[in-house]
Amino acid sequence: MGIIEQLHQMKGQALERISAAQDLSGLDATRVEFLGKKGSLTSILRGLGSLPADERPMVGKVSNEVRVELESAIDTRREELRTMELEAKVASDAVDVTLPGRVRMPGREHLIERITREVVEIFVGLGYRVAEGPEVELAYYNFTALNTPEAHPARSASDTFYVRDLSSAEVSATGESDVLLRTHTSPAQVRVMEAQKPPIYIVVPGKVYRPDAPDPSHLPQFTQVEGLVVDEGITFADLKGTLEHFCHEMFGYDRKTRIRPHFFPFTEPSAEVDVSCGICAGAGCRFCGNTGWLEILGCGMVDPNVFGYAGVDTERYTGFAFGMGVERIAALKYGLPDLRMLVEGDMRFLRQF
Amino acid sequence: MRVSMKWLQELTDVSVTVPELVDRLDMTGTAVEAVHTLGEGLEGVVVGQVVSKEAHPEADKLWVTKVDVGDGEPLQIVCGAQNFEAGDKVPVALVGTTLPGGLTIKKAKLRGVESFGMNCSAAELGAGSDHQGLQILPQDAPVGMAYAEYAGSSDTVLELEITPNRPDCLSMSGVAREVAAVLGTTYELPGGAPAEAGEPADALAMVEIEDATLCPRYTARLIRGVRIGPSPDWLAERVTAAGARSINNVVDITNFVMFEMGQPLHAFDASTLATTDGRAHIIVRTAREGEKLTTLDGMERPLASDTLLICDPDGPVALAGVMGGEHTEVSEKTVDILLESAAFHPASVSRTSRSLSLISEASTRFERGVDPNGCVAAADRAAQLMADLCDGTVAPGVIDVYPTPVEPVRLTLRLATIAKVLGVEIAPDEAAGILERLGMTVENAAAVLEVSVPTYRPDITREIDLVEEVLRVWGMERVASTLPGGRQRIGGLDSSQRWRERIGAAMRACGLNETMTYAFGDAADIERLGMEFAPGEALVELLDPMSTEQSVLRRTLLPGLLRSVSYNQRRGVRDIHLYEMGTAFVTGEGRKMPKERKMLCGVLAGRWYPAAWHDAEGAGRHGANGSSDALRGPEINFFDGKGVIEALVVEVGASRFKVRDADIAWLQPGRRAEVLLGGDVVGWLGEVHPRVLGAFDADPSVVAFELAVDALVRAATPVRPYVDVPRYPAVEFDVALVVEEAVTVERVLDAVRSAGGKLLDDVRLFDVYRGTGVAEGRKSLAFALTYRAPDRTLTDEEVRPQHERLLRKVASAVGAELRGAE
Repeated sequence: MGIIEQLHQMKGQALERISAAQDLSGLDATRVEFLGKKGSLTSILRGLGSLPADERPMVGKVSNEVRVELESAIDTRREELRTMELEAKVASDAVDVTLPGRVRMPGREHLIERITREVVEIFVGLGYRVAEGPEVELAYYNFTALNTPEAHPARSASDTFYVRDLSSAEVSATGESDVLLRTHTSPAQVRVMEAQKPPIYIVVPGKVYRPDAPDPSHLPQFTQVEGLVVDEGITFADLKGTLEHFCHEMFGYDRKTRIRPHFFPFTEPSAEVDVSCGICAGAGCRFCGNTGWLEILGCGMVDPNVFGYAGVDTERYTGFAFGMGVERIAALKYGLPDLRMLVEGDMRFLRQF
Repeated sequence: MRVSMKWLQELTDVSVTVPELVDRLDMTGTAVEAVHTLGEGLEGVVVGQVVSKEAHPEADKLWVTKVDVGDGEPLQIVCGAQNFEAGDKVPVALVGTTLPGGLTIKKAKLRGVESFGMNCSAAELGAGSDHQGLQILPQDAPVGMAYAEYAGSSDTVLELEITPNRPDCLSMSGVAREVAAVLGTTYELPGGAPAEAGEPADALAMVEIEDATLCPRYTARLIRGVRIGPSPDWLAERVTAAGARSINNVVDITNFVMFEMGQPLHAFDASTLATTDGRAHIIVRTAREGEKLTTLDGMERPLASDTLLICDPDGPVALAGVMGGEHTEVSEKTVDILLESAAFHPASVSRTSRSLSLISEASTRFERGVDPNGCVAAADRAAQLMADLCDGTVAPGVIDVYPTPVEPVRLTLRLATIAKVLGVEIAPDEAAGILERLGMTVENAAAVLEVSVPTYRPDITREIDLVEEVLRVWGMERVASTLPGGRQRIGGLDSSQRWRERIGAAMRACGLNETMTYAFGDAADIERLGMEFAPGEALVELLDPMSTEQSVLRRTLLPGLLRSVSYNQRRGVRDIHLYEMGTAFVTGEGRKMPKERKMLCGVLAGRWYPAAWHDAEGAGRHGANGSSDALRGPEINFFDGKGVIEALVVEVGASRFKVRDADIAWLQPGRRAEVLLGGDVVGWLGEVHPRVLGAFDADPSVVAFELAVDALVRAATPVRPYVDVPRYPAVEFDVALVVEEAVTVERVLDAVRSAGGKLLDDVRLFDVYRGTGVAEGRKSLAFALTYRAPDRTLTDEEVRPQHERLLRKVASAVGAELRGAE
C-alpha cells in the first residue's frame, strides 16, 4: 500500500475515533495517537525517505491536508464535547429553587420607633428640625408654662408621677416635689422657645409617663410626637393644611380628614383631627364606634399665655402646636390588640414588623 | 352630660334630624360620645308589682320575689337589689327579652331557686347610670303595661363630652343656647319669680360666710309646709333621662333644676338646723381640728382642715358642693325646707370630692365653675316648683350673701386679629351675629367689636377666646388649608440624631431586634446586679409608685432586657437578639433633676439562627449525636457580643477600640470587659453572671453589653480620609506562635505590629490551638501576616529576612516559640 493510501486509511480511522470520543481526555488521547510526535502520521511519514523525489511533494501535500482536516475535526469535536460537558455539569447542579435562602436575617426596628421615625420624616420633609427634652421635668415646664391652672386635676399624684427632689435635705425629707416624669412632650415646646428665637419649626418625639395601670389600651409609659411652629404670619389655615398633609402621608391619600374644635389649656383655638375609618371608609363600624372617624391628634394655635411664659412677642408672632400618641397610631394602623406587647420584648412579636 | 331630645325640644327648636345635630355638635366643639334610643329593646319589659319578698334560703344578699305582671299567676324572680319592699312597682324583664345592654333574660336557677325574669334598674333599661337598685315606679303605674309605653320613653338621649372650659353646657339651658347658636335658631329658658307668702325668709334663717374666696355667694330660700311624696311622671322622667334616680318630689326638683340650669341645689330639712336667736343659722367655713360629718350615704367622714363645710352653730351639716349630711336630710316627715343655691370655689370642691372619692353631678359642676349670678334664678325656679308640686309656701325674699358680685367681662375683638390668627376673613356682622347667638352683647359691629361676655362663660377672658368662639361656630371646615411660608426654615436631623439612627441601623444589620422596656425599675435590681454607686449618687425615686417593681427609674437598661430574655425563654423562645436605645437615670444629693443618659444595651442568648437545611452542607448530614442542635450555628458567647461592638465601631468610624478585663459585678469573671474608645471607657461587655441570671429568672448563657450613646457619638468620625487601595500583590506568610496561656492575643499582636516595619500590611489571627504538640499550659496562635509595598511587587526573597527578624523580635518580646512556620 502506498503512503498516500496509508494516509487516507489512517484519516478514515482517525475521523471515526474522533467522532466516537466521549470526553475531552479521550479526544486528546486520540489526537496524540494520530497526530502526536510518536503518532500514526509521523510513523507513516517515516517512509517518506524511501520515495522517489518527484512523489515527495505530492505526499507532503496530502499529509498536510490530512493533518489540517484532522485538526479541524478535533477542534470541532472538542467544542462539541465542551458544550456537552458544560450542559451535563449545569444539569447536575440543578437545585430545588424553593428551598429557603441562606442568610442571617437583620434585626427589625421596634414598631413604635418605626412609626415615630415615619412621623418625624414627614415633618422633616416639611422643613422641621427635631428637638428633645428631659424625661424628668419640672412642674413649671410640664404644667405652669403650658397654662395649666394650679389646681388642675392633671397635676395630682393620681395623674402624674412625681419623683423625690434631692435639692436639699429638708425638701427631700418632706416628699414635696415639683419634679415629675413628663406627662406629655409639650414641655419641650417651652424649652425650645426659651432657648431659640423664632422662626421655630420643630417636632419633639419622646417617651411620656402617666400613672395608668397597664391594660390592653393603656401603658404607664408611652410615646408622643409633639410639633411646634412659631413664625410671622402663621395661621390656623396653616395648621389645618399641615396636619391634613401629615394624615395623608401617614394613612394614605384615600383617607378623609376633618378638624373639629376641642379644648386644651395651652392652645386657643384648640382642635382635634380625625381620619376617616380605614375599615368602613367612613360608613361607621365597630372599630370606629360607628362614627366613621378615628381621632388622631390634638392641636391648636399657641395660647398667648404660653407665649407670655416663654417670652415670645405675641404681636409679632403667631404659632401652632400639635401632639399625637404613637401607640394609638400603632393600634389603629397595625391592628394591635394589646399595647402591653410593645414592652414585653417577645421576639415573635418584634420580628413581625 | 346626658341630653334628652324631648327635653331639648321644649327649650329650643331643633329643626334638624338627630344625625345632623350630632354632626353639627361634633363640628362645633361639643363631641357626641353616644346616642341612646330609650324604649328600644324594651319590648319584653312590663310594669310589675312585687307581691312578696322573702330571703333566699342559700344566699345572704338575694331575695326570692313573687311579682305580678298582670298575667295571672305571679312570677317567681330571684333578685339581688336591696332598695325595694313588697308592694313596690318595678320594671320587669320577661324571659326572652334582650335588654339594651345586650343581656338576654333566660329562665335560670340562682343558688337552687328558679327565676323567671328580672327586676330591673334604670341602668339596665338604658335609662340612666343608676344601677344601685331597682327602678321603683310610682304606685299608680298600671301593672302589666309595657314599660316603654308607660314611661313614654321613646326618647333619644345624646351623651355629650363637655370640655372643662364649658361649665355652662353642663345644663339643658346651656346646651339649648349652644344648639340654637350652631343651628341659627332661637331658644327660650324658663324663669320667673315664685309667688310668696307668710313670714319673710330672713326672719326664719340667716347665712354667714367666713371666707368669700371659697364661697363667693350663698343664697337661701325657705319653702314651708311642703308635702313630701313621689314626683309627677314628667318630673321623674326628666331626672331619669338626665341620669339620676327619682327619689321624691323635693329631691327630684333640686336635681331637675340642676340639670336644667346647671346650678346644684341642696334642700335641708329646716327643722334639723340649729338656730341662733330663733333663726336657722347657716355658716360656711372650713373644717376644724377633729371635726367629723356623717354624710347622707351613712358614712362617718373625718374632715381635712381645708374641707369647706356648710355648718350650723352645732357643727357641720354638709360638705359644701359635694354631699349633704345625714342628719339634715329631707325625709318623709320634712315640712320646711331651707333651699341652698350657692357658688363654691372650684378647686376647693375638687379637692374635697377627690380626696373622699365622692364625685357627684353637683361636685362635677362646682369643680368646673358655677356662675354666682345664676344662684337666685335657680332658687326661684326650684321654689316655684316646690310650691306647685309639693304644696309649699315660699317665704318672701331670698337670703343672699354675695360680698363681691362678679361683673361681665368687656372685651375688644379686632377683625384683624381674626384674619391674623385664622387666615380667613370673616365679616363683622357675621362675627357679631355668632357672638350674640352665644349670649354675648356686641356693640359697634365694625372693624373692632366691643363685646360684653355673660358671667356663665368664665372661659372667655381675652380677645383670643372670642376668636375661638367665632371660628368654631363659623366652621373650622370652612377654613381653606394652606402650608406655612417660612422663608428661614431649615429642616433635618442634627448630627447626634443622625448618628443615633446609624447606630440603630448597625445593631439591626448585626441581627439584633430593637425593643422597648419600661423606664421604671425595682430598687432591688441594683442589688441583684451588684451594682455600686459613686458616693452621693442615688436612684431616682417615684413618690407614689404603682408597684415596688416600678418604684424607681432605671439606672441601667440591663434589668429590663434580662426580664425580656426571661419572658422569651419562659415561652420557649431560646434564640434572643435584642437591643434598646433608651434613657438611664441617676441622681444624687443636692440635685433637683437627675442626670439622663442615653444608653445602648444589647442582650444575646441561644444561637443566631434556627436549624436550617444548609447547616448540613460541609458539616455532614447529621450532627455528632444526631440531634438537630448539632446542625445549628454555635451557641452565642462573649465573642458574638464583641463582634457586634466591632461592627458598630467600624460603622461609626471610631478609633482606638479596645477591651480590657475589669471587675464588673454582674458579669462572669473571665468573660467580661470594659469597652474603650479613644482611651475612654464607654461601656461594658460580657456574659452575664449566672447568679444574676438566676435573680432575673433567665437561663444561661446571656451575653450583654451597654454603651453610652453620647460617648459613641463623640468618638464617631464623620469623614474618613481616603487611603490608597493596594495596587501591587502581597506576600503572605502564616506563622504559629506557641505562648504561655497568660499571654493575651492583644499582647502578641502589639508585638507583631511594633516589630513589623513598613512592609507589614496586615496581621490576622486564624487559629488558636491547644493539645497534641503543644505543651500543657501553653497555646498555639496561628497568624497570617501580609507584607505589601505600595509601589512595587514584593518577592519572597525580599520579604523573608524581614519576616525572620520580626519573628525573632516577637519571640523574645512575648516568650513565644515557633511551631512549624508557614
